[in-house]
Amino acid sequence: MISMSHFLILGAILFCISVAGIFLNRKNVIIILMAVELMLLAVNMNFVAFSHFLGDIAGQVFVFFILTVAAAEAAIGLAILVVLFRNRRSINVDDINSLNG
Amino acid sequence: MTTPSSFEMPNLLPAVPEIFVLAATCVILLADLFISKDKKVITYLMSLATLIGAAVLTVTLHTGETVITFSGSFVSDPMGDVLKVFVYLVTAVVFVYSRSYLIARNLFKGEFFILGLFGVLGMMVLISAHNMLTLYLGLELLSLSMYAMVALQRDSINATEAAMKYFVLGALASGMLLYGMSLIYGITGSLDLAEINAAIKSLDDSKMMVAGLGMVLVIVGMAFKLGAVPFHMWLPDVYHGAPTAITLYIGTAPKIAAFAMVMRLLVEGLGDMHVQWQEILIIMAVLSMAVGNIIAIAQTNMKRMLAYSTISHVGFLLLGILAGTSEGYSSAMFYAITYALMGAGGFGMILLLSRAGFEADRLEDFKGLNERSPWFALMMLILMFSMAGVPPTVGFYAKLAVLQSVVGVGLTWLAVLGVIFSIIGAFYYLRVIKLMYFDKPVDTTPLQGSADMRIILSANALGILYLGLMPGSLLALCVAAIG
Amino acid sequence: MEQTIFYIFSTVLVLSAGAVITVRNPVFAALFLVLAFFTSAAIWILLEAEFLALTLVLVYVGAVMVLFLFVVMMLDINLTVLREGFARYLPVGLLVAIIMVAQLAYIVGPARFGLDKFPAPEPHGADYSNTREIGLVLYTEYLFAFELAAVILVVAIVAAIALTLRKRVKTNFMKPEEQVLVKSKDRVRLVKMAAEKRDDQQAPND
Repeated sequence: MISMSHFLILGAILFCISVAGIFLNRKNVIIILMAVELMLLAVNMNFVAFSHFLGDIAGQVFVFFILTVAAAEAAIGLAILVVLFRNRRSINVDDINSLNG
Repeated sequence: MTTPSSFEMPNLLPAVPEIFVLAATCVILLADLFISKDKKVITYLMSLATLIGAAVLTVTLHTGETVITFSGSFVSDPMGDVLKVFVYLVTAVVFVYSRSYLIARNLFKGEFFILGLFGVLGMMVLISAHNMLTLYLGLELLSLSMYAMVALQRDSINATEAAMKYFVLGALASGMLLYGMSLIYGITGSLDLAEINAAIKSLDDSKMMVAGLGMVLVIVGMAFKLGAVPFHMWLPDVYHGAPTAITLYIGTAPKIAAFAMVMRLLVEGLGDMHVQWQEILIIMAVLSMAVGNIIAIAQTNMKRMLAYSTISHVGFLLLGILAGTSEGYSSAMFYAITYALMGAGGFGMILLLSRAGFEADRLEDFKGLNERSPWFALMMLILMFSMAGVPPTVGFYAKLAVLQSVVGVGLTWLAVLGVIFSIIGAFYYLRVIKLMYFDKPVDTTPLQGSADMRIILSANALGILYLGLMPGSLLALCVAAIG
Repeated sequence: MEQTIFYIFSTVLVLSAGAVITVRNPVFAALFLVLAFFTSAAIWILLEAEFLALTLVLVYVGAVMVLFLFVVMMLDINLTVLREGFARYLPVGLLVAIIMVAQLAYIVGPARFGLDKFPAPEPHGADYSNTREIGLVLYTEYLFAFELAAVILVVAIVAAIALTLRKRVKTNFMKPEEQVLVKSKDRVRLVKMAAEKRDDQQAPND
């Protein structure tokens, strides 16, 4: 049988991959946005596993809302990205340095 | 299994202000379509009317009792009501200050007010959250509105870059917060903050470790949103890059909501783990006060300087919360409210000095303000004294109350550090005063702010002075609200 | 059986998640993310969360990832610049990630969440409907959250339109409503005037 810890460790691995992805791809905003989606997937994996093993539907409801918010978040994030690209012709994060100081 | 027949209509009465703000915002959203570009002042007035209406509803429905409705999702209590009224007040002031700035930059559009009002709704939900789901949704409603507002000046490279940074770090913070919430849910089996607190009492040591990890991740997420060191790197860039009117919005009322978020999650949800989170908050508070006050000295840009000053104020706010006593909580609440008022005044002054094509956000733009307008130089003097914590302004009492509460729990060394850092911090506030009074003006154009803005800004600064002379009523309000 | 399925899918999931953050081309990254969502959906079905598994495929793969792909293809991205510094940080990043995984795995590992602590629940019968279960609480207990989710989606619409909608000034376009309403007298103006005499002396030179 598969225990709860199997799913939780899977979630933990996904979480670490996404955190590593954010820090490794500091130059590429679009990969960072994808890593954020991956992080939410890790969270969802945790919630679904807890919900199943605790026999409590609330965890699944939470996941439903995370999916909704993540969709809204992706829409706004991509909109900002498009606006930024129009201004700079680049999505390189290191280019984003006119604010250092 | 729940069956539909067992469902009872929730008591909507405590949530009437939220319902009103939502309905009014939707009306404004639709009405704005039919308002031509040169008549956007109607949208502006409708937004102000919404905030006033919400304030009237919150005050009239205030019972002084704690009511939980929507199956435990929503709580209406004295603390929430007081904080909400200040959120409306500060946001209304922000709207008034922003008007001429936005008109001059062709940003005086319906979206600013609509997103601003949705942000207010997010803050209200955050303040009234009674389970982790509502808290998360309120936070996201507020954050998403703010990301979009920062990018609203879409032909500005600085603003869009700031928005992108804000978005990426905000999304990362939400991810951390959610991962922490998932662990807390898993170990306590509930999303309800009161049930979580009850469940944590009965955890054994081994399970406590999971709750501890969840707590750490939740604190990291919240620290990002608050802008506490070491999770502050977005804050100066966003404050600097965003148009000043939007910096004014994100730098004021959301701090009140952030205080409520920390109260709900750490104190109501994880109150039993106070010993563990106190240590983390001590580290963050000391670092925030140190980094904020020291780096602010090196800034030449007023908005960046105020951003670092915000970081140091967040450190003081955390001092009150980490004390873990009701005196500490009420002093932190007092601090959050007065900081929002001071911040509104500080950024408001930058808006007053700005005009079309001129941002007035460098320190030298304040040179010789006394010669250009002695009255507003005096107002700025009051605001800077208050931020520095000089008596008899309210900033002094806010710091005093927080430090007293820290001493009250035996952390005297922390209070001493707080005093040292606020003395260091006084330097850069006093520098602004020196520039205003002892330097020759570089730019002698008369101030252009509209009459309503001048009156409200003066009232704002005088209010800071008044609250400093008579802090009793607001302090009593905070003490009563925490209970 | 179940275990085999779990291990196959979780291996694919971890590998594709790793690919998302390491491949050179953002289009491939988006496609690997799609694969990651698909495999997660399969794993969620093992956890009897059928509704969410389907939602993940429909909403995420169907809508969000398509949006991502659109944006990736719309923006003309310089790939070589974006990879700079990746190799340099990779060893450190990998090390930190592995240590983090080890720590997290220790905390959420079998010592605390093993089968002896949380036994697997009895599988539901064929008449169990996960969608019904969620629906029952979604519109009752989580009514407030449900309304808030709607508000968040409105904010997303308002924000996306406010940020990206541009009125193009230089393009020629027609307004059908104005075309339909046009009257013949708007286009042709009949002018009555007295006939003029031809100037005989000038005309031959034309």
